[in-house]
Amino acid sequence: MESRNNSPGGRLKEMVAVARNCYRLIIEYPWLAPPQPGQFVQLRWHRGTDPLLRRPFSIHRADCRRGELWLLIQVAGRGTADLVERGTPGMELDILGPLGRSFPHLEEEGLALLLGGGVGLAPLLFLAEERRRRGLPFRWLIGGAGADLLPPPEYFLSLGLSPQFVTEDGSLGEKGLATDLLQRFLEEERPSRVHACGPVPMLATAAKLCRQFRVPCHLSLESFMACGVGACQGCVVPIRHGEKVEYRRVCLEGPVFDGEVVDFEQWPGIDP
Amino acid sequence: MNSGPGLTLNLAGIPMKTPFLAASGCYGYGREYLPWADYSCWGALVLKGTTREPRGGNPPPRLVETPSGLLNAIGLQNPGIDYFLKQIRPGLEELGPAIILNIAGESIEEYCQVASLLEGVKEVDGIEVNISCPNVRKGGVHFGTDPAVVEELVGAVREVYSGPLLVKLSLEAGQIVPVALAAEKAGADALSLINTLRGMVIDIHRRRPVLGSLTGGLSGPAIRPVAVRAVWEVAEAVKIPVVGMGGICTAEDALQFFLAGATAVAVGTANFVNPRVASDLVRGLTRYLQENGFKHYRELIGAARNR
Repeated sequence: MESRNNSPGGRLKEMVAVARNCYRLIIEYPWLAPPQPGQFVQLRWHRGTDPLLRRPFSIHRADCRRGELWLLIQVAGRGTADLVERGTPGMELDILGPLGRSFPHLEEEGLALLLGGGVGLAPLLFLAEERRRRGLPFRWLIGGAGADLLPPPEYFLSLGLSPQFVTEDGSLGEKGLATDLLQRFLEEERPSRVHACGPVPMLATAAKLCRQFRVPCHLSLESFMACGVGACQGCVVPIRHGEKVEYRRVCLEGPVFDGEVVDFEQWPGIDP
Repeated sequence: MNSGPGLTLNLAGIPMKTPFLAASGCYGYGREYLPWADYSCWGALVLKGTTREPRGGNPPPRLVETPSGLLNAIGLQNPGIDYFLKQIRPGLEELGPAIILNIAGESIEEYCQVASLLEGVKEVDGIEVNISCPNVRKGGVHFGTDPAVVEELVGAVREVYSGPLLVKLSLEAGQIVPVALAAEKAGADALSLINTLRGMVIDIHRRRPVLGSLTGGLSGPAIRPVAVRAVWEVAEAVKIPVVGMGGICTAEDALQFFLAGATAVAVGTANFVNPRVASDLVRGLTRYLQENGFKHYRELIGAARNR
């Protein structure tokens, strides 16, 4: 009964595991509008009602010339588990996007520092490739619990990228937290801007450090989402607006927010 | 659409091209889906529940998916009626479908103030009085459970608003028919049902409810049979038209509601899954009418009860 007449469909070309519970998807997709780093798509992969909703995924890479969309997906719940279970080459995909606001100041010439935690890599992969393509300077820190939860260095090298790793168990790169390394970078290299994506505690610490060092930072946030287009008000996060805290939509006003205004003290499940 | 079976209707005095409405709360203020949907397939857009003062809404998380359903607790986040009238209203008539504004409040006085501000507003073809929002502490669903309160509230709004007046009903009362009859008696032109059903999901890892406001309203295919039953009961009891809703995703789903006695249907959660749902519904309903030899969809209204 349903059709996709008025929007281009996508087709899964390849799905490979790049880390434990983490998959890289290459989707044939005739981009109508070129997306920007930080934007996301709402993906629907089946006709049934359970799981019911689409799932939002940050864009890892968008090759408009070849008509490809790359996603990096972490199995985090019923939806993503179902996607990975059903995902076979040739599978039709219904894609809504590109959606949301991208990382700002993409063309800035100063040193940009990228900070990624866990699967919060996808939008930074897009951003890093874009900076590299434009010959703009950047450094990239990637933190994770252990090597098995991160794509291996070879994955990044194949894209011409060489981030610096830090893991909690020391199994890849330095042992420690990504935010420890961030502090050192802020002290020693004085970047002009920080772009971060990852677990909320990491982002909260990053925002605090950047405020301390007076370096602007932009955070790509995640939230459970229904519509993805600003209609349902379901995906909101607490954002400071002057003295007040207001709820803003991750899908429309985000997913990238100025780290200065995100109110982590009001964040659900986070003890200030 | 011109050569096929008829889909037009007049609902509570509002002419519509199709019997499909975008349900309140799921279509924002009407413009959010412009890049993604074919608006010519909607008969009307029911815009987000609006109150007198701006409301910040409930603390997140506000959403959790359930089996074939969605539990939400938005808490009527909205910018208030003044902002709506100044900033959102201009140009709404250019969207195409009829425009109905859902209104809510914490007191009868507040409902009346909001309704009176909409009297004579040409961009708004009618109002839907929300007496059934499960996600606000005061007002909301509590207005919708007592027939005497419903009669007083709807009667008071009726006095200050002369345009098409819909009332959105809850199942929280247990018995929906007495509430429906009270709304009809007080001057409602049509009834919308059902609103979401209150529910809860508990995160077993954090060992607390998932939603920031603990409970939420359940929507989606999971509640559809409950909604069809409610439409069946209410359509039999009242003379005014019924707008049926609850988990409609396909034309087959919508047909059940028409056959149960709904004059029109509203689509909420399905928009999130399939923004082109209105086009699919028009296409599917048209095909069903053609295949079964009906000239107009209205021949189906309540047809399941006539045997």
